[in-house]
Formats: sequence, structure tokens, C-alpha cells
Amino acid sequence: MSDHDRKYLVHPERPPKMRYCSKCVSPMSSAAPITFDDDGICSTCKVADQRDEVDWDARMKKFKRLCERYRSKDGMNYDCVIPVSGGKDSYFQVHIMKNVLGLNPLLVTYHGNNYLPTGMENLKNMREVFGCDHIFFTPSIEVLKTMNRLGMLMMGDMNWHAHCGINTYPIRVAVETNTPLMIWGEHGFMDIGGMHSYNDFVEFTYRNRHEHDLRGFEWYDFVEAAPKFGEKLEAKDMIGFMHPSDEDMDRVGVRGIHLNNYVRWDANEHGPMMVEMYGFKESEEEFERTYRRMSNLDDMHENGIHDYLKYIKFGYGRATDHTCKDIRAGLMTREQAIEEVRIRDHVKSKDLWRWLEYVGWTEEYFDEVCDRYRDPRVWWKGENGEWVKDNLWDKE
Amino acid sequence: MQYRRLIPVLFIMNGLIVRSEDFSTHQIIGNIINEAARYNQWNVDELIYVDISRDKTYDSRRDDHKIKAVDSIETIITEISKVCFMPLTFGGGIKTIEDVDLRIRTGADKVVINSAAYHTPELITEVARKYGSQCCVISADYRMVDGTPILFTDFGSNNTGINVVDWVKECQKNGAGEIFLHAIDRDGKACGYDFDTISDVTSATSLPVIACGGAADVDDFIDVYEETNVAAVAAGNMFHFTERAYPRAKKDLVREKIHVRP
Ligand SMILES: [Zn+2]
Repeated sequence: MSDHDRKYLVHPERPPKMRYCSKCVSPMSSAAPITFDDDGICSTCKVADQRDEVDWDARMKKFKRLCERYRSKDGMNYDCVIPVSGGKDSYFQVHIMKNVLGLNPLLVTYHGNNYLPTGMENLKNMREVFGCDHIFFTPSIEVLKTMNRLGMLMMGDMNWHAHCGINTYPIRVAVETNTPLMIWGEHGFMDIGGMHSYNDFVEFTYRNRHEHDLRGFEWYDFVEAAPKFGEKLEAKDMIGFMHPSDEDMDRVGVRGIHLNNYVRWDANEHGPMMVEMYGFKESEEEFERTYRRMSNLDDMHENGIHDYLKYIKFGYGRATDHTCKDIRAGLMTREQAIEEVRIRDHVKSKDLWRWLEYVGWTEEYFDEVCDRYRDPRVWWKGENGEWVKDNLWDKE
Repeated sequence: MQYRRLIPVLFIMNGLIVRSEDFSTHQIIGNIINEAARYNQWNVDELIYVDISRDKTYDSRRDDHKIKAVDSIETIITEISKVCFMPLTFGGGIKTIEDVDLRIRTGADKVVINSAAYHTPELITEVARKYGSQCCVISADYRMVDGTPILFTDFGSNNTGINVVDWVKECQKNGAGEIFLHAIDRDGKACGYDFDTISDVTSATSLPVIACGGAADVDDFIDVYEETNVAAVAAGNMFHFTERAYPRAKKDLVREKIHVRP
């Protein structure tokens, strides 16, 4: 549906009342493919509970066997590729592969030109503390700016380039260096969405990347759309965003495993552990849209305006995601979560000013583009033409 | 000798592909069209789609995706046939001959009939007369009840008390052309196929039997081809989980000298 044929309901009409998970604070209108059971509990809560039933010792044994099969026989190649952003999850992935299992990984970073200073320090520090070879890939800044603008106009997301770069450049490196095994951290929609079971051993696939991480768009859609929006983009600008062919993947036998199927994944434990062991640093500054200081330091807009866009689209943001995790981990009550969500989810964060200057847009234009992407299941027009939605703290 | 087939079966719920477990837990995997396009690239023998929506509402969930909402079974089939060039079988929600007409008209090569085959068995005969038996696939969903495979209908909720082996014979008499034998107990459990029931059914009927329910990996396929006389093996979830899952499985089957189309 495009903005043209979309019909927003106008007061006194309104969409059906928003439902929220009765355990965490996930709304039904989730950006992730979430489902609810008959008791009103979301699929994410249920899959998170599965972690307690998994025999993690057996999983580790299985994982070691898997890794041994991929270890370079003569030491003339890397044993695996690890995509890293320099975040706490990256640290944990390298910690397991290099220091627990003794493999020789090649680290690969997509650098989207949005690093926070602490995020960059953490990334550089990985070279010091892990002693691994490390590739940094930065697309042309002009191309990045164009993709920021096009992403906003095509799908209300300036960070599509990052989703694509992170999910494409490493597999290109795997193919180019003939290193079949790639080590990813958590499966995104298993963590926020409860998409899979721990018995699925779900791996990295083109389809999941294409549809969920990239929302069905590829580099050629950007090239095709560019002239329509008065932008210039050519195939030669997009090489780092091109997924390898099936033939190339078959030749190398590339497979990307998700470590959370083999090692119990708990960000609240891993964070402090990485601080302690390797000098990982939290952000010195507080964020506006989340209380966590350990997440997404590789991109100043991830916790900021990119996340604000999620609020515009679906009516909730990262404070909801983070409190959901902390409720599931038993670190927060549902009431505390509601307070965090109430003060944070709607905030238009100050990194917007950097972004507007970076791409040369005005705030008015940004707001106008945003409004095209409001989900009509979430938002409707109030008595005075203002945007209205249900809120977590509304009384029944 | 005819090739033995390997068939991905895709469950659709409210317009989205879902992962199914025990016929009761459903997790969203993604958009139907993306999935179909990928299977087309994987050169699959055929595809079976079963719409298991309880209520027929279609929800695309979010609209910042390139591929937009599908709002009816007609659109779903039309869009799938645009990107898929292998035989397409469509099931779910078929109650009348008009339901069958609609699916054939919009691009299905065969239809799967489940509950209606039990409630109105004459539908099988009608479909066979109009489109030929080969077009009429009967989905026989069963659970083990005290060691006997019992036919369950209506999303696995209705215990008919009928032995599924007898049921399959009955369907053949009525004009069915193929049997989709689905073990509810094994759905999404990755615990291997039910060789005993599959063998009992294949010896009770001359119709081709497609076995479904329980696949975890390619070894399960190999076992069921070797242990039974199935014409085809189907799996729902597992093809979603790994890259190139289907072509890799085919390669392994060929290596094991299973008579499949390479
Ligand atoms: Zn929940």
C-alpha cells in the first residue's frame, strides 16, 4: 500500500484497540513477525523461555565438532569469518571463536560512517585485544549520503544501507577468501519476534536477509529508484552491497551459523563480561531513546533517529525492545518498563540534527516523509487532525 | 521408472508463510512471494501450499516492504504462479467445487482437500469428474491414538475415529488421485518420519503417497525413501532454515542412489 491509497481513520472512528503482550510490553503491531498465543503471551517471550530447556553442554559439543570440520587443515587460510561492528556481541563472538575454541577468524566490519566515538574506540580495541586480522569496509561517503536519502524516501528508513552492508559485505569476503564458515551472533527475529525454535538450528539465508533484514529491496532497486528522486547511483557504486551468486556460494560451501543456537545468549551477562575481560566500553553519554548504554554504538542513529522512525511506523521504539528483554531476564518489572517506555518511545532525538546536515534535508521535509509511513493499524487522526495512537499505559 | 519427488510444503496463515508445530504453534517465517521466488531458483519438483488460516483475514504486517499485502487467496495463487514455474498444488479452505474452480483458474495444477473430503465425500468424485483424478490430492492428517493412526480433520481438532488406512482406501474408491499423508504428532518436531503408517498406507492403496511430518535433515529423507514405497516426500519447516537446503538435499539423495530428479 502506498501513502496515496492509504486511508487513515478519523475520530470518532479508530482502528481496533492495540494489544500488548501480557508478560512483556510488546505490541501486536510489531516491526518483527510476532504472534500471540491464547493467553496473550507473545512468541518472543515463549522462545526466550525455551533457552532454559536447551542442553547447552550438548550444544557446545556439537558446535566444537562443527568448527573442527571447518578448521583450515594446513593453516594457510582463515577458519571462519566473523562480521563485527565492535559491539558487545562482536566481542563475545570473537571471544568464543578465538579464545575459547582456538580458531583463527577473519573479522569483517561494515563501516557506514555513523560510528559514535566510543563505538569506534571499541572497534579499534578489538585489534589490540584479540590479535585477529580485520577488514574495514567503507563505501563512498557520497554513495552513503545518497542511500540515506533514498532509503528514507523508498521505505522510511535511512539506515537500509547499514542493514544491507552488514548482511552482505561479510559473505562477500567469505566467498572471496574461500572461507566457508561464518559466525553470526543472535538470529535477529528469533531474539525480537520469536520466529524460530531452538531446535531449528536456523542459519543465515539469502531469503531471510532479503526479506527481513532488507525488506525485499536489493541494490538494483536503489539504482532504479535514484533518477525518480533526482539522485545519481550506478551499479559500480553498489559492489559492496551485491550478494554473491548461488554458484559462488555453492563453490565455497558458505554457511552462516548463529551462535545463539550453540551458546546460551544473554546480553545482560555478556556485556559486563566483555567490559571486564577485554576493556569494552559503554557509551559515556546517555541516550535519549533508551536507558541502555551498551547497545548499537556503531551507529549514532540506531538508538536515535532510525529508532524514532520505528516509533513513527509502528508506535513503539527501542525502550520497548530493551525493557522487554529486561523483563524476560527478570531485571525489571512490567510497571518499571511502562515508565521507561512512557518517557522515551516518542522522543525525537538530537542526532537528527547531524543527519539533516549530513544529507542536506530540512526538519519539515523529514517530518513529511515520516508521516507517509505511519501504520494505519496504529495511528489515526484525532479530533483536531493530530496523530493519535493507543498507549501501553492506557486504562482499559 | 518415475522419479520419486521431494516436495516443500508451505503453510500459509493469514497471508504469510508460517512455521508450524503440532498443528497448533505457528511462527511467521515471511512473505509468500519472496519464498516462492526462492523455491523457483532452487528448481524444486513441485510445491504444495496449504492455507491453514482459521479465519480468512490477510495481513501483510508492515508496509515498508517492497512486496505489498496480499488480500485474497486468488491474489496469492496468481502472484505465486507469476514467479513459480513448477507444478503448484493448493490446499486449505476448499469446501465446494467452486472453491476448486477458483484455484485451478488462477493457476493451481492440483488441489488438496482435507476436511471436506470427510464431511462431503462426493466432492472428491465431482473434482475427479471435472478435472481428472490426478488433480485431486487428499490430505489425510492423522494422530496416533493407542497405537492406531486415526484420521483427524478440521485443523487436527476433530477425531473421526477412522483408521487412516481405511480412509485412504475409501478416498481412492471415491476418485482421489494422490494421498498427502500428514503425521500431526510429528509436525515441526524434527523426530523422523513414521515408517510404519507410511508403509501400511502405501500397501493399502495404489495411489501415489506423499509422506509429510518429522523431517529434521536429509538423512530422514533417505530413510523414508529406502524404508517405504512413497512416491514423494514432503517437508514443511526444514527448507526454511538453511541456505540452499533443497538443492543440497537433492545432491545428497542422488549420491545415495535415490531415484530423484537431479
Ligand atoms: Zn512478550
